[in-house]
Amino acid sequence: MVMSGLQIYNANPVFGGRSGWHFWPFFLLGGWLAGGRHWHFAAMWLFALNLLWYGIYILVTQRWQHRYIGSNDLKALQTARNPKRRIYAWHRLVYTSIIPILLLAILTGLGMYKPAQFHWIVEVFGGWFPLRVVHFATVPLVFVFAIAHSLLALKAGGERLINSMFWDRML
Amino acid sequence: MSPTPNSSNPLSRRNLLRLSGYSIGGLLLGSAGLTLVESLAGKAFEPLNQKVEELLLNPQRPVPEFPVSAIEPDALLVNTFDFTPMIDLETFRLVVDGEVNKPLNLDMATIQRMPLTSMVIRHVCVEGWAAIVQWGGIQMQQLVQLAQPKPGVRYAYFFSADGYYESWDLPSVLHPQTLLSYQKNGQPLPIDNGAPLRLAAPIKLGYKHSKWVTRVTLVSELRSRKGYWEDQGYEWFAGL
Repeated sequence: MVMSGLQIYNANPVFGGRSGWHFWPFFLLGGWLAGGRHWHFAAMWLFALNLLWYGIYILVTQRWQHRYIGSNDLKALQTARNPKRRIYAWHRLVYTSIIPILLLAILTGLGMYKPAQFHWIVEVFGGWFPLRVVHFATVPLVFVFAIAHSLLALKAGGERLINSMFWDRML
Repeated sequence: MSPTPNSSNPLSRRNLLRLSGYSIGGLLLGSAGLTLVESLAGKAFEPLNQKVEELLLNPQRPVPEFPVSAIEPDALLVNTFDFTPMIDLETFRLVVDGEVNKPLNLDMATIQRMPLTSMVIRHVCVEGWAAIVQWGGIQMQQLVQLAQPKPGVRYAYFFSADGYYESWDLPSVLHPQTLLSYQKNGQPLPIDNGAPLRLAAPIKLGYKHSKWVTRVTLVSELRSRKGYWEDQGYEWFAGL
């Protein structure tokens, strides 16, 4: 989604228009605007359906009750002295914040893909330009999430946790 | 339980870490390869996307319009695939033909005597920019009605004086806001924007809106050439 999105971005950069700064070809997917759009509008189904399955799973298994940040975590961030407890609270804050970011990416994307049929989405964001800015902003936000999430995982469980997640079972 | 490291084991942690490094490199190289099979993604998903677009389009429901104060006169960029044609208004004729009972051959004076429809809509370019524009002209649905299409007509081809060609699905052509326009932002249409006649509608991407239209041909089947940009890889339906 990101690479084909940047390919589309380059056709008319959100910041600066045609004379604006372009992303390097290395980060792009699709070869040109039409190819980037094909990838983007194919991958959007996988992206949106993945999020939908996840939402159903969280609801059906009732995991939503204790997977996300709660008042106990906020309290821990302010008062807890146990460093592990604080890391867990941070981790849950980061983990929770990615859900609205991903939903925002879909909503703003839908608004740009079908602005005539979903007129209200463009209106809610205050026009075409703010809509493009918010849609683009989800890219750096996802990267910030990935970095914060990885650092916190390292802090919480160190190398042993990472190993157990990826390859311990294989040996 | 963490296993004891064993460097002679091909699946040791160290080797796997190394492998994961290789696979990241491979992934990046692979994406370059993916670019080569770009049309695959389009071929696989475009039929699905087009079905969804057709379902979303309500051919009778007008898209909400903007107040005149919202017009962005400088935002509309001029995109042309080749050159700007010179058209003599004295000899200019709009031809409507194809599978119709009454082919039409209209001069501009006749067209301008037909009922004028004005709308303020957002023009959205495939490149990502958009502009709020006022367009004034005749409804395509009136023109089609005058020509009396034969049963079975499903598409319209638009041919332009500069060699540009486009094809549309009939429901989109008959949408009340699909116009052949000769007015932009309250002024006569400038030649750069497609004078004397261009397509304008809020329901399609910019490249569907042919400028300098000279001929509309109604057909029951799409030809192998669907449109200038579509034949290079852009999606054909391009609904908004």
